[in-house]
Amino acid sequence: MAETGRLTKAAVAAPVISPVTLLRLAIILTVLAIWEFLSHSGWLYRDVVPSLLAIGRALYQLLSAPDYYFNLGVTAAEIGAALAIGGLSGLAVGILLGANRFLSRAFESYIYYLGPTPKIIFFPIMIMWFGVGPESKVALGTLSCFFPVALSVAAGMRQIDKVLIRVGNSFRANSWQMVTKIYLPAMRHPIVNGARLGLGVALIGTLLAETKLSNKGIGFLIINAYSTFDMPRMYANLIVLFVLAIGANALVGRLGGLHSIKRL
Amino acid sequence: MTAAAPARRAPPGNFAAAAVGLGALAAFLLAVEILIQTGVVSRFIVPPPSEIIGSFSRVIVEEHVFSRFLLTLTECLTAGMMLTVFGVAGGVLMHRFKLLQQACETWVAAMASAPIVLMYPLFLVIFGRNAWTIIMMGFFAALPPVILKTIEGIAGTRKVLVNVGRSFNLNATQQFWKILFPAALPTIFVGLRLGLIFALINIVGVEFLINFGGLGQLINELAERYDLAGTYAAICFVILVSIVFFVALEKTERWLRPVD
Amino acid sequence: MAAAGPQADDAILVVDDIVVRYETAEGPITAVDNVSFKVRPGEFLSVIGPSGCGKSTLFNVIGGLLSHHQGVVSVAGETISGPHKSIGMVFQEESTFPWRTVIDNVALPLELIGMAKAKRAERARHFIGMVGLNGFENRYPGELSGGMRQRVSLARTLASEPKILLMDEPFAALDEQTRLLLGDKVLQIQQQLKQTTLLITHNITEAVQMSDRILVMTYRPGKTKRIVDIDLPRPRTSEIVSSGAFGGYVAEIWNDLREEASRGMRDEEDHVLHHEGGSS
Repeated sequence: MAETGRLTKAAVAAPVISPVTLLRLAIILTVLAIWEFLSHSGWLYRDVVPSLLAIGRALYQLLSAPDYYFNLGVTAAEIGAALAIGGLSGLAVGILLGANRFLSRAFESYIYYLGPTPKIIFFPIMIMWFGVGPESKVALGTLSCFFPVALSVAAGMRQIDKVLIRVGNSFRANSWQMVTKIYLPAMRHPIVNGARLGLGVALIGTLLAETKLSNKGIGFLIINAYSTFDMPRMYANLIVLFVLAIGANALVGRLGGLHSIKRL
Repeated sequence: MTAAAPARRAPPGNFAAAAVGLGALAAFLLAVEILIQTGVVSRFIVPPPSEIIGSFSRVIVEEHVFSRFLLTLTECLTAGMMLTVFGVAGGVLMHRFKLLQQACETWVAAMASAPIVLMYPLFLVIFGRNAWTIIMMGFFAALPPVILKTIEGIAGTRKVLVNVGRSFNLNATQQFWKILFPAALPTIFVGLRLGLIFALINIVGVEFLINFGGLGQLINELAERYDLAGTYAAICFVILVSIVFFVALEKTERWLRPVD
Repeated sequence: MAAAGPQADDAILVVDDIVVRYETAEGPITAVDNVSFKVRPGEFLSVIGPSGCGKSTLFNVIGGLLSHHQGVVSVAGETISGPHKSIGMVFQEESTFPWRTVIDNVALPLELIGMAKAKRAERARHFIGMVGLNGFENRYPGELSGGMRQRVSLARTLASEPKILLMDEPFAALDEQTRLLLGDKVLQIQQQLKQTTLLITHNITEAVQMSDRILVMTYRPGKTKRIVDIDLPRPRTSEIVSSGAFGGYVAEIWNDLREEASRGMRDEEDHVLHHEGGSS
């Protein structure tokens, strides 16, 4: 921390806009320019690349229709429910498996190997069990969300510094105290990471289910735009969805104290 | 992990645990079978496990499961090759041009958390209802982790190795090919494995959604025909394939990376 | 073999015939073999031995964290069968909760027994002051040095007001100067509270500096080799390390230990030679 001996540099006028920002702007502008060119060139089938103006208009129409917010609410509620049910059950199962080596060896591989299967293929079963309404979407979202949370928490439990558990035991904390005062606070990072992953897959699962069979929700709006070949509207829907999804992910990360979304 | 641990040769505890796991699964299936046969659970919602198992052979033969599997596999491998070329190159480029990395890495990371697969209707319009929609979906969905892991691998080369190169006066290109890239390979493989898994998940999912292709399409078709037992059987089959794929990838990675 | 110890009737901690064996892939190992001793109230006893002598195992047995043993440990007549409220443990590794402030760390045992918040804070402050960390109540362990964190761990254990303070090489990770000064602090606290203390250590200087008696253990299987009475005047500070009598005790104990430590080293070398591919 000592400043002695450091040569003081002559004050350099800091650039008003950093090179990074400039490059980003340049990339964005180039992409938009190419887009607009393609749109008017007639090379591609009509409306596959609509003009930016058309997309802008569609965005405006989308966001100013109360209808949109109703559908957004439906989807958000479905995802929220999926995250709550899937997340909490994943947390509970993760703690159980992480705490008990025998249970982990008996059952964890099932969860581990079922994790990377595409859950959307279970949708026909969810429809049979829960009907065609929002319940089947929530069910699919829950199914998707459960696995990454359970695995992340189980791994997190095993990484807790063993000495912290011994401290708890030496003070004769009971199980509930161990979970609330030691396990959960010590696992803040794995839990948040599991939650972000869980949110991501719950979102995808719920939305894909909506595109497959639904009459409400954002997924429905997207597939509806496709079936009427209203491309500007589809682009508008996708743009808003992506902004919200990325924002939600960043928010969860920020809330959990992680400051970089570079962590996979 | 340098404790002098005794060589791990299937400690007796593992058999008991595996037995309990399998036993629980078998007991569960048996319970379901009984519940359905006694009418507590309707067989029009859940077919009895015995019937599901019985329909396996029918599904495999009549629905040409093997050729479907090959189709899905081909789609996956195509996406995989594109990922290897473009994903790794992308990561290398971003490492080489620091400014590019600083500008774009956050964007790529954001894409990793974005629901790319939801653009499938858009891809349908662009590529049509054929295998290319599926392949491109798999490719784009899996691209971010490959790029990110490539960058991570190259940037994470231990400083001392870089210094060895500098002590031999290697120029930037030599430094890259002789030191940075080889050192990064393990992490790059991790990225490719992750990418292939993402690709498979998205490929099977999109096959299901657009009702075209191999295994994913099979499930959709059987469900639309109300062939309950067949649908369940097909789902089991897809799970099996994805597990085998996953394990094969893990084993390949371990074979390529014996250290660690 | 053992020097005269306290009489049975005035001992607060009785360790009776402890044997600990466990199975490894290479066969059964006896970690601790028939160790017995007694500790008087207010006494400072150190257990010293080479690596591999089972002293950490003994620590876990006395603390109640390891129940798979033969023999009996009793505190004030009551047999121990698990962590006991009369025994407070200070661990060797970093054990402060990184997500809690200093005061919340120290208040943990009080929180666990359900003490009211205001009272907890007051008691915690008292012990924080005792280890000399006044003013740091609202800092996080991450902001403190290693020595300060160990002081927090010590304060936390003291806050549970145990009859017996059980410490497993608490200063092993610290540099020598910090260790000596913290040793002074511990002695000061022990004097003040008349705290019965059992210290597990491998450091001879530390043991002689702090203890009334030292129990020297053999290499595995760990038995009692000798119990040495340390007849240096109290109160003691780290300045005593330069006295002649001090040097005499150190030499005496090193004599005992050297043989055990050599056996330990030879054993490790043998292990590597004969178990290729065993360790990773």
